[in-house]
Amino acid sequence: MAVTTFAAIDIGSYYVAIEVFELSRKGGLKSLNRIRQNLETGRDTYALHKITMARLNELTRILNDFKQIMKEYGVSDYRACAKSAIREADNRYLVVDHIYRATGIRVDVLSNSEQRFLGYKSIASRGAEFQTFIEKGTAIVDVGGGSIQVSLFDKDALVATQNILLGSLKIRERLAFLEHETIHYDKLVDELIRKDLINFKRMYLKNRKIENIILVGDYFTNLIFQNRNDLNKTASRETFMKWYEHVVNCPLREVADELGIPSDLSTVLIPIAVLYRQLIETLEAETIWLPGIQLTDGIAYDYGERNKIIRSSHDFEKDILQAARNISRRYASNKAHNEALIASADAIFDVVKKSSHLTPRDKLLLRVACYLHDCGKYISLVNVAECSYNIIMSTEIIGLSERERRIIANVVRYNTQELGYYRQMGANSELGTEDYMLVAQLVAIMRMANCLDQSYLQKIEELRVIKKDSELILSVAANGDFTLERGVFRENVDFFEEIFNLKPVLKMKSRR
Amino acid sequence: MAASKENPKTKNDVKASSKPKAAGKSTEKTVRKSAEKSAEKTTAKTVRKSEGKTAGKAVHKSEELIPAAPDREKKEKSSSSLSSYDNFYNRELSWLKFDARCLSEARDTKIVPLFERLKFLSITQSNLDEFFMVRVASLKNQVHVGYKGVDIAGMTAQMQLDALSTEIHEFVKEQYQTYNRALVPALMKAGLEVVRKHEALTEKQSAFLDRYFEDEIYPVLTPMALDSSRPFPLVRNRTLNIGALISAKSDGDKLAKKGKKHKTVQEFATVQVPSVLPRIVELPDAEDGHKVVILLEEVIKRYIGVLFQHFDVECACTYRIMRNADIEFDEDEAEDLLLEIQKQLKKRQRGEVIRLEIEESVDKRLLKVLKQELEIGESDIYYIPGPLDLTFCMKMYGLPGFDEFKEPRYTPAPVPAFAGAKSVFDAIRERDILVHHPYMSFDPVVDFVRQAAKDPDVLAIKQTLYRVSGNSPIIAALAQAAESGKQVMVLVELKARFDEEHNIAWAKMLEKAGCHVIYGLLGLKVHSKITMVIRREEDGIRRYVHLGTGNYNDSTAKLYTDLGLFTCDDAIGLDATAVFNMLSGYSEPDRWYKLMVAPIWLKNDFLRLIRRESMNAAAGKPAFIRAKMNSLCDPVIIEALYEASQAGVEIDLLVRGICCLKAGKEGVSDHIRVRSIVGNFLEHSRIFHFHNDGSDEVFMGSADWMPRNLDKRVEIVFPVEQEDLKAEVIRILTTEFEDNVKAHVLMPDGSYEKIDKRGKTLVNSQEIFMKEAWERVPKPKKVTEERLFTPAEPAESADDDEE
Repeated sequence: MAVTTFAAIDIGSYYVAIEVFELSRKGGLKSLNRIRQNLETGRDTYALHKITMARLNELTRILNDFKQIMKEYGVSDYRACAKSAIREADNRYLVVDHIYRATGIRVDVLSNSEQRFLGYKSIASRGAEFQTFIEKGTAIVDVGGGSIQVSLFDKDALVATQNILLGSLKIRERLAFLEHETIHYDKLVDELIRKDLINFKRMYLKNRKIENIILVGDYFTNLIFQNRNDLNKTASRETFMKWYEHVVNCPLREVADELGIPSDLSTVLIPIAVLYRQLIETLEAETIWLPGIQLTDGIAYDYGERNKIIRSSHDFEKDILQAARNISRRYASNKAHNEALIASADAIFDVVKKSSHLTPRDKLLLRVACYLHDCGKYISLVNVAECSYNIIMSTEIIGLSERERRIIANVVRYNTQELGYYRQMGANSELGTEDYMLVAQLVAIMRMANCLDQSYLQKIEELRVIKKDSELILSVAANGDFTLERGVFRENVDFFEEIFNLKPVLKMKSRR
Repeated sequence: MAASKENPKTKNDVKASSKPKAAGKSTEKTVRKSAEKSAEKTTAKTVRKSEGKTAGKAVHKSEELIPAAPDREKKEKSSSSLSSYDNFYNRELSWLKFDARCLSEARDTKIVPLFERLKFLSITQSNLDEFFMVRVASLKNQVHVGYKGVDIAGMTAQMQLDALSTEIHEFVKEQYQTYNRALVPALMKAGLEVVRKHEALTEKQSAFLDRYFEDEIYPVLTPMALDSSRPFPLVRNRTLNIGALISAKSDGDKLAKKGKKHKTVQEFATVQVPSVLPRIVELPDAEDGHKVVILLEEVIKRYIGVLFQHFDVECACTYRIMRNADIEFDEDEAEDLLLEIQKQLKKRQRGEVIRLEIEESVDKRLLKVLKQELEIGESDIYYIPGPLDLTFCMKMYGLPGFDEFKEPRYTPAPVPAFAGAKSVFDAIRERDILVHHPYMSFDPVVDFVRQAAKDPDVLAIKQTLYRVSGNSPIIAALAQAAESGKQVMVLVELKARFDEEHNIAWAKMLEKAGCHVIYGLLGLKVHSKITMVIRREEDGIRRYVHLGTGNYNDSTAKLYTDLGLFTCDDAIGLDATAVFNMLSGYSEPDRWYKLMVAPIWLKNDFLRLIRRESMNAAAGKPAFIRAKMNSLCDPVIIEALYEASQAGVEIDLLVRGICCLKAGKEGVSDHIRVRSIVGNFLEHSRIFHFHNDGSDEVFMGSADWMPRNLDKRVEIVFPVEQEDLKAEVIRILTTEFEDNVKAHVLMPDGSYEKIDKRGKTLVNSQEIFMKEAWERVPKPKKVTEERLFTPAEPAESADDDEE
């Protein structure tokens, strides 16, 4: 049996953790060792906007210790991920470089959406349990030191996701100067976070009924209703409220002792407790599920999936597309046009992909770009490209990395704007050469597909795309006057040919 | 029992608030802290740390400064009858009863062979020495700082010291009655004569000693005198010394005169009996088959005049002191644990003198000097009617010959489960393996580490070490593993009492070999016995774990009864990993799968198991607890046992040493029975058996039911789940409960009595286990003669092969 030993490292706001896994097709994912070392990197970032050298040295010391642990288990591969504490630090690049030089460990600084996606993947790794939960209205609440992410599921699909900058450590740092001015610290926290949650409710919940909350995040989450022999636990709202009353009414040190939390971290307890309570009340959830999983589970699961060691029972791409559909709906996009666009784009993509080394993941990005290609119209009919770009760049789609989001935003932008040569774009380009080429290819496909429904009337009844010598032949059977489409098609032929070295040829099929 | 039940008043609570705010000098703080720590060991509840930290400057004066243990006081007032002082024995007096049980073995003329009795007598001495250095010292510390708290039985430190003094004086009297009246005459009869006074030597023997003294002894002696220019010399802890009063000779010797104006003035002089020479000196001129011996100190006394040639020796006698050896320091403030312990060990040599043993016939003037210089009170002086320091009896036991007066030497049997296996790992992968020492050999434990060190598939080895032998093969294997590039992590407990120096040396050696060495944890002693080997196998990583009740010490494994379990159970592997993570300074795990771990969780786990039996009994279901341990003195556990007894749970306990629980007390512990086995091997295993409504649960581990084990140490208690092994452990326990030869029963009045064996089949559990261990060894297959034509071989060479 082929077995891979893999280590997942999580650099969080107040701890650094390593988990060593064994992955195999037969046995799936098996945790061998899980270690957590407290280190408040978030305290530096949220108070000083940078990681101090002292903290960095401590971090590298811990990571060097982790290297020993990797040796102990003969780890063959690893992934180290940093979250908001490093992401939001002004000196993040220096930090990552310093870590590499001091330890040889390469750290991926995850975008918020990547981070949440990994968390989400780890819950999905629970298979049937997860599927049963999300059949009803369910919110996954992923609480971190820097922010929380609320993702809403309804009828087995992700309907909305939003990041709120209300992480436990961040709240504590923001209120640190007031902490000693009141004996009702919990009320203070309550007031600070209420408005954000109310806004969230107004925007996303509407009449949606959320019955379950899945709480994931860090080890604090797992401490709720402390029962060390049952990490995967479900509790009612009443049980949670009892826990909450206990936490806010007992001396902090006492609660920290009970939960086995180091005293220096105990001050995070109140912000966390209030956050959870507010969320449960805002979402009006009845059941809380704590699957007892952490980011390291997600990192390992993702690794196993990418390397085809484990296969997921949940379709994550479906979630990404659903999230894109929801965003396009929010910005009043034309659904029928989007579907027609995607159908044409898929057909073209499937023909050119082989010669252009395009991947299935690129196809997913193209599809998302198609859904969002004109969302900017909601803001301005004049400046659609820029507005669409900005909407995409400021909207999180769980499952997409920051880079992927940037690619999509640029595909959408250059769908209607001229895409200059890389050299012409100069230093201002946010794209590297590889990404520029990908954007150009996807833009060429999208433009070609878009012109086939230029009138938004879905005239195409049948489309066949084939490659013949140096031509890409698009045979179209249309149910109306195709003059406009043909005209716009001609305008885009050169660009497409320049990119794929294939000349698009439109052939109209006669209607039977 | 001598323990008075005078209840110290709680006025201390009031005084507590008036204590000075500022902390004293750091040394005082340390003294104070250490006294409190000592107090914690003996009191039911600890003094709150915050109170301790605000200790006043005048620590030695202010008796009222330290309040009595408040929780305990509160408990007493509010109390249910179970927590009453009347329901507990004082732990120190209970310990003394254990030593008395050892002494009773030395007095047993019916069952115990003569030379084994010598061994037991020696053990009583070394036990008592250790007891003084640690327990008595700790009580004295409490008295010095004015600690007024009471122990589990309601006694203050002073009350305990008074009671102990009385009891120990009586005990010593019994030790020497045993030696003088029973053993020496019996030895004489058996052919071993001990010359008690050098004046009784024959001429030939005298001549032999003249030479022996001159050649061997004299060169290593360092006599030291005390006068105005020389301070009182450092008398080392536990060493044997000869004190003398000397005066300058009146024959006009110039050298003597020069230093002294008044010839008649006596000076004190002392000489240490060298520990590098054998204490027992065998003399010639013995009858055939007999031996005559004399003790080294007698020989030195005979020639004492030679040491002080220009003086007259007016009197000389042997004496021995015991110093406070309770190492206590503020670990929070120790920057380097290793250096701090080394420093404290040096200090131990100059600790307060807490006991003086001196020959009964001591000259009063000599005694006066010693009392004055050693600053010792009359109650701490023990006048000894015989040779001091009876540990020489162990050497006597080791004299060649006299085999008919000794138990036959036992060779541990091989462990059948490992027989024929290619490697220990193959055997363990097949099934869990139980090892019962010393009946079974300790070799598999050593092999486990040795083979791991050589196995190319082994990635890492992790182990905790508390006490190891002098030339430990385990240490050698660990070093070899590190040298061959494996990840080796070893926790060496530097604070293992009386093994500190030894362990420091091991730790340094292992570090040099490339092991990652952890010197223990601040504020906790790591007492757990666990080894984990991480091995890469075809189907992934597998963790092999050995868990034991005894130390990784191949020498004591031949003398102590212990149990060990080899397993590669995945859940135990995960828990073992978590234990080592914690020991490496990482956070504790989110959960434990199978292990019960002290200090944070173990006590609650035990309470849960005890209470489950109570609930079963209350529900009318059969319920029982059987447990074996070295000591039982945790008040919370005892109260839970009392509650269980009241609920109807049948409780049988095998407690070898201290037992603060009162057995068979009406209305309190009617269903509790306590036994203690004192046999040739030291009973050391800890086994816990809970009936659990018919789904028996069996645990073993490193922890006793003592506050120090449950609250201040890292301990591991592990389940025995494989059905055949569980049945085996239950059977071991049953056999031990059936022992009627070496078992002593704790009576409701606190005394221990041997079982009346009349009309019963004798059951000596240790003998049964020895026999069984060898019976289980697979017999070598009979070699059937093969009818083959083979070339003839010379007979000698075949014999050589046999060897």
